[in-house]
Amino acid sequence: MKEIIIPGEKVDGTADSYIFKEGNDIYSMVLGVVDKQDNYTKISPLTGKYFPQTEDYVVGVVTDVRRGGYNVDINSPYDAYLASRKRYKEGDVVFAKVADVNEVRSVSLSFDRPLMDGELLEISPVKVPRVIGKNNSMVTLLKEKTQSDIYVGRNGRIWMRGGDVIKAQKAILKIEREAHTDGLTNRITEFLNKAGE
Amino acid sequence: MGGAKTDIELIKNGKRIDGRKFDELRPIKIEVGVLKRADGSCYMEWGKNKVLAAVYGPRECFPKHTQNSYKAKLTYRYNMAPFSTDDRKRPGPDRRSTEISKVSREALEKIVFLEYFPRTAINVFVEVLQADAGTRCVALTAASVALADAGIPMRDVITACAAGKVDDEIVLDLCQEEDNFGSADLPIAISPRTGMIHLMQMDGILTPEEFGKALDFATKGCLKVHEMQKKALKDKYEKIGEDYGNE
Repeated sequence: MKEIIIPGEKVDGTADSYIFKEGNDIYSMVLGVVDKQDNYTKISPLTGKYFPQTEDYVVGVVTDVRRGGYNVDINSPYDAYLASRKRYKEGDVVFAKVADVNEVRSVSLSFDRPLMDGELLEISPVKVPRVIGKNNSMVTLLKEKTQSDIYVGRNGRIWMRGGDVIKAQKAILKIEREAHTDGLTNRITEFLNKAGE
Repeated sequence: MGGAKTDIELIKNGKRIDGRKFDELRPIKIEVGVLKRADGSCYMEWGKNKVLAAVYGPRECFPKHTQNSYKAKLTYRYNMAPFSTDDRKRPGPDRRSTEISKVSREALEKIVFLEYFPRTAINVFVEVLQADAGTRCVALTAASVALADAGIPMRDVITACAAGKVDDEIVLDLCQEEDNFGSADLPIAISPRTGMIHLMQMDGILTPEEFGKALDFATKGCLKVHEMQKKALKDKYEKIGEDYGNE
């Protein structure tokens, strides 16, 4: 079991994110889990919103059509603008890359592609790395076992189409709930095999 | 305050009216994540006090002219339910709750990393469902647990506790009778890690020596409460972990 840490609690080791320094010590600034290895310490938050960063892939919903582009809701405190010549209307779902986040946190998107039909599932953005897995292992597993087309946005939105969508959704919600525990991949494999019969 | 006259014996044989020792807290229960719609929430029972705290945000700040390009705007609403007291409390903000909201907000502004979220708002709402003295401390303690539950970066989980003077004795964590008929009340809020004081108010009169002792009592009370906050936050996730732990 990994250790759970609360804001202001001291961190042993040399984590470089979600921490602040005071004197020679470092402290966690979030409620998170500590993954302590020999050469590094990593803090992963357990809750929180999505804050866009360049190079992130997100699943957004078009909220407004504007001249030369679209306003897109990316499940974050900051709205995004997508400059695109493709035709979208309000409510359309797009998969896009965060091109830039400037100093006043205006977000621009690029490399958009429409996601037609399908189901949209929203989970806590901090659990997304677990849904993706190391080298996409978890997503590959889900795709293989459910035969669904799955797009995972870093902002906590997951779009699915075809195959056993309901099974995929159940598995993802299970991942979300148990994201901070060990041996998750084995349990999800088991879950996907069992539910299929 | 200032000690209304009463026939009640507040201290009898070295014990307080509810049977506690001078430096004993009332029983405390903390539940984390009780509201689904809120980003973070906390339900807290402290003696007969019952308080519900909800945190929303960081989210888009409305109305737009109030947003700050350099940091998030923190709002704090302390509100007492009409049924929270013996006599019906007239609903809505009044002078007392506006003041408590202001000082509590200022306490939280010092510990939240507001500069990380420019142009956004963080809204904290605290509803007092049942009041039994020391609600501002309970409210602030619950609010900081809810903030941690919302995943908002903070320097510390703030803790509040009161001490006071009853029948010439300094006591920790006053109950309703002691608050009404005692002679002083000193609520404080601290960062348990640094001991920094973020909120301090006083009602009544204390000598410098008594003040020092009361401050010491309240600080120790805060540290005890902090352990409970820590446990409540960790329990929420450890329970899920235990079912599958150590594979």
